[in-house]
Amino acid sequence: MMSSVRKAIVSNCEKKFLIKNLAEWTRLDGRAFDEFREIQIEFGKDWGCCYVSLGKTKVLAQVSCEIQQPKSSRPSEGILNINIELNPIAAPHFEAGRQSDLSVQLNRLLEKCLKDSKAVDLESLCIKMNEKVWALRLDINVLNHEGNILDCASIAALAALAHFRRPDVTSDGEEFIIHSYKQRDPIPLVIQHYPVCITYSIFNGGEFILADPMLLEENVADAFFIDWIECIQGTLWFTPWRVDVILNTTNKAASRAETVVQLIKEAIEQDNERRLEKVELGFHKAVEAKPVENSIGDLSICIDQWSVKHKKSKKKKNKLTEGEEKIIKEISETVQVTEIEALGVGSAALVPQDSEDGNRWQASDSENDDDDVMVVDIPKPVIETVDILDTGSEEEIVVILNADKKTKKEEKENKTMIDTILT
Amino acid sequence: MEKPQLSCKLGILSRPDGSAMFCEGETTVIAGIYGPVEVKMQKVINDKASVECSYRPKSGLPGIEDRLYESLIRNICETSLMASLYPRSAILITLQEMHDSGQLISCAINAACLACLQSGIDMKFMFGAVTCFLTKEEVISLMPPISKSDVKALFVFVFDNAAGRIIASHTEGSFSEEQYKEALNLGREESKNVFIFFKKTLVGINSC
Repeated sequence: MMSSVRKAIVSNCEKKFLIKNLAEWTRLDGRAFDEFREIQIEFGKDWGCCYVSLGKTKVLAQVSCEIQQPKSSRPSEGILNINIELNPIAAPHFEAGRQSDLSVQLNRLLEKCLKDSKAVDLESLCIKMNEKVWALRLDINVLNHEGNILDCASIAALAALAHFRRPDVTSDGEEFIIHSYKQRDPIPLVIQHYPVCITYSIFNGGEFILADPMLLEENVADAFFIDWIECIQGTLWFTPWRVDVILNTTNKAASRAETVVQLIKEAIEQDNERRLEKVELGFHKAVEAKPVENSIGDLSICIDQWSVKHKKSKKKKNKLTEGEEKIIKEISETVQVTEIEALGVGSAALVPQDSEDGNRWQASDSENDDDDVMVVDIPKPVIETVDILDTGSEEEIVVILNADKKTKKEEKENKTMIDTILT
Repeated sequence: MEKPQLSCKLGILSRPDGSAMFCEGETTVIAGIYGPVEVKMQKVINDKASVECSYRPKSGLPGIEDRLYESLIRNICETSLMASLYPRSAILITLQEMHDSGQLISCAINAACLACLQSGIDMKFMFGAVTCFLTKEEVISLMPPISKSDVKALFVFVFDNAAGRIIASHTEGSFSEEQYKEALNLGREESKNVFIFFKKTLVGINSC
């Protein structure tokens, strides 16, 4: 009851307006149906601190680590905890420090995306079996809720994990020494693959499918389709849906995920370069650099210019179809999804046919698979080169192995360089 | 004397009525304010708005220290805002740490002030905060020492811009009375610069 205080209610006329516009192939903010909002990734000065905006939705993620005793069921694995906080800054009905249905749901979806898919190699976080492992804590603070928190949070989470570096630990048999960042170069996490969530909202029982819903669209939609790519898996809620539509949307999501992951990798690489150059980093630099943003929402501008837009709609349609064709072509080259497994009422899993390690994903309700069917196709000692790795498909992994050797050499050179500088 | 570079961006968030990202040196805080909005039944005050403040560290759950900052900032905002204009309503102020290199509290207070100003809510006066550090070598400075362990004491002073009175003072560590007075004078001088900076940012907003 209390959580409904201050919550904005979507009126019937808003709903009708939105649906009517969709029938005319327009969205309120002028995007095409399969167009996503712009992603911006900024890193803070601390390792693993990442500020992501997806349009106007903004999220801050921070990874921190400490040494803990491992779980007795998994004595050789590190621990990853994901904690999403709906900060009251994001929307007035969010309450500080209290779990709501939304936060629990988002938390679980992110856990599925990052933890259950084993994106982070937890075994490399083990210091001593049964006694000491690194426990990672991923804190995600939602700062501005303008729809599609999940996509934004998953991008921030992944970027923060890929950016984070833990302190080095050495052991002399008895004692463990944790080296500070200054004493020894910190070690990045091993990211085995890069899963991101891609959300589509569904209107009128599958008639309209919108990518990256904004707040109003999110409130009106009768279902969501969330994909987390890499281990292609979808959930489908509350609505009967045709199989071909699911396939089509998943394919689109796959190509989108690729661009998102590329963006994250580029951002991290850029940050690493700047750190090597010893450029002063941090949010304060970003604030100084950018001119003051216009505080008026895009939406209101869009609505002000409504009549103008309407006339242009013919041209837009052409663009849209062209774009779609492109995307579909791209997809047919990249991922082929064919099988659908029913998991229960209202949910289904998509299994990629072409990958031979097909069972990379296990349905979450069959968690008794302790024998680790997970195919770990990355060789173990790649710790230092994660951010360059690309674990899309098996073919690409071959490339990684080569890249790995190369980068190792390069790194050796770098190290000697650093040594000489130090001396 | 060397002092931290101030920078600020207003209106960075679209949902809150007022928002600001404020940087003091490297320390960065985001502040957002909603208000006046609907108030919860148990927090209704009949003759004025109830001011609520929440502070969120960037990692981990908020601890006792964070609650202390919350109550400090809540008290400052309550004295500065014209809460009696909005009876039976609530004003929510939320702060999010982005990066901490020492001046976290003063940075949060300044961010809160700019967010209030940007939202256009009625205020009696502006408030600006300054952090002074007392290092192990008994030197008082405005810049944080490179390593945190060199800080012997930390002073945070909050001033109003109308009468130049001190509104709040927060200290950590041990120091002598003279040192406190010295830091207070230093803070008072520096607070003038803070208010000049506030005015510059606000004028910059209005002109474009």
